[in-house]
Amino acid sequence: MLKHLYDTDCVTWSPQGKLFQVEYAMEAVKQGSICLGLKSNEYVVLCSLKRQPSELAGYQEKQFKIDDHMAIAIAGLTADARVLCKYMRTECLEYKYTYESHHPVGRLVFKVAEKSQHKTQSGAKRPYGVGLLVAGIDPNGVHLFETCPSGNYYEYKCQAIGSRSQAARTYFESWFHLFEKSTLEQLILHGLSALKKAIMEDEELNERNVEVGILGKNQKFIHLNAQELKDYIVKLETFNANTQIQQE
Amino acid sequence: MIFNPEFSAQQQHTTSPIVTGGSVIALAYKGGVVVGVDTLCSYGSMADFKNVEKIAQVSKNTIYVSSGEFSDFQQVVRELAKIDRSALQYDDGVHPSPRDYGNYLARLSYKRRCKINPLYLQNVIAGFHNGERYLGLVDIYGTYLESNFVTTGFASYFCKAIISNYWNDNCTLDQAKQVIRECFKVLFCRDCRAHDVIQLAYVDEQGAHLEQPERVETKWDFSGFKNRANEKLHTQ
Repeated sequence: MLKHLYDTDCVTWSPQGKLFQVEYAMEAVKQGSICLGLKSNEYVVLCSLKRQPSELAGYQEKQFKIDDHMAIAIAGLTADARVLCKYMRTECLEYKYTYESHHPVGRLVFKVAEKSQHKTQSGAKRPYGVGLLVAGIDPNGVHLFETCPSGNYYEYKCQAIGSRSQAARTYFESWFHLFEKSTLEQLILHGLSALKKAIMEDEELNERNVEVGILGKNQKFIHLNAQELKDYIVKLETFNANTQIQQE
Repeated sequence: MIFNPEFSAQQQHTTSPIVTGGSVIALAYKGGVVVGVDTLCSYGSMADFKNVEKIAQVSKNTIYVSSGEFSDFQQVVRELAKIDRSALQYDDGVHPSPRDYGNYLARLSYKRRCKINPLYLQNVIAGFHNGERYLGLVDIYGTYLESNFVTTGFASYFCKAIISNYWNDNCTLDQAKQVIRECFKVLFCRDCRAHDVIQLAYVDEQGAHLEQPERVETKWDFSGFKNRANEKLHTQ
């Protein structure tokens, strides 16, 4: 009850040192459907579960290409995500126009974080209600970042955000030590396994509600098409992370 | 120039340069790139500043030289330094490659050209990055070219024959330096705005190395000259 005294706007602190508007914005991310990312030495894979608002509707896309070397997966308010996506694409294009090379990934995430923070320090604005998983390749290597409505950003080996993402994170905690040296196929199967942990009992993964995007040092960002997704979901039945340990 | 208060209110457009630098010659060799330029800044036809070091190291593995208006050269050095500093600001250890500098300079030059207020320069960016040599030329209009040899100014007229006869891009550093010295010898003889003190710099996988200025060998003690000096003219 006490919360409601201090949560009207971003420019009011609570006595416990919290900005409730920012925290509420992070809740919006947790309500979005799950998306996760994981990386090896050479590839980053993004997997998401797409929601279908009704039987008549299509599935909401959650992964967007920013540039050949960078892509995002979103959880939260899609409209806010579009704003950030457009900003990131513009920045990448401008960088390419000026330097004829790819925008360094960390730097773009920093810019997005700065933009997000700006929204948390004004009386007239609200934070972005979306969390991004940014996958990118640059001369510094293979990257996976997470951005928050708060304006914080973190780099990860693997991360899941959105609803029931804890289940996926638990899967990652058990197996992330294998990811660095995994092949692309193993990485995708790990991602789908983690995704499977996060779906409800009556749901199943199929080529319509799953979205997988891959990015590699010599691989521009692409989505797996429906046939490839079907094949991977079939392989998932027989995939066992334990077998990977035996190989190594 | 007389200071006219009316004129200072308008934007001035660079129509002709005032203090200018001479030709630049840059060659790729096996393992890097080497650049040579003389140490003179001319004030029109007057050899005004004879000891100018005109090679700028803009980052660990990139050097920048240009011929043309020297104040524009100094300004470009500041602009390029800003880019390198951005790595400090973002604290991410990502440094621009020589090609990034070349392209940036091309965009900058083109922007100024479009405003009819050019950076009055022929620019050369030389570097070594990820095992690859880089040599770029950006001219006054913003034209961008990459090549394994580059000349500006009068060197483009006098020195290409020497370069094509004595240089190939697999030669050693010393061979490439010698070709550049030969070119500057010829330039000193033939280009009125050239000087006989030059400075060389090369970039290889260890980074950029700037050398001390050196005097180009020239020969003036031809017997014909000496005898001429002793000749009694129109007296006999």
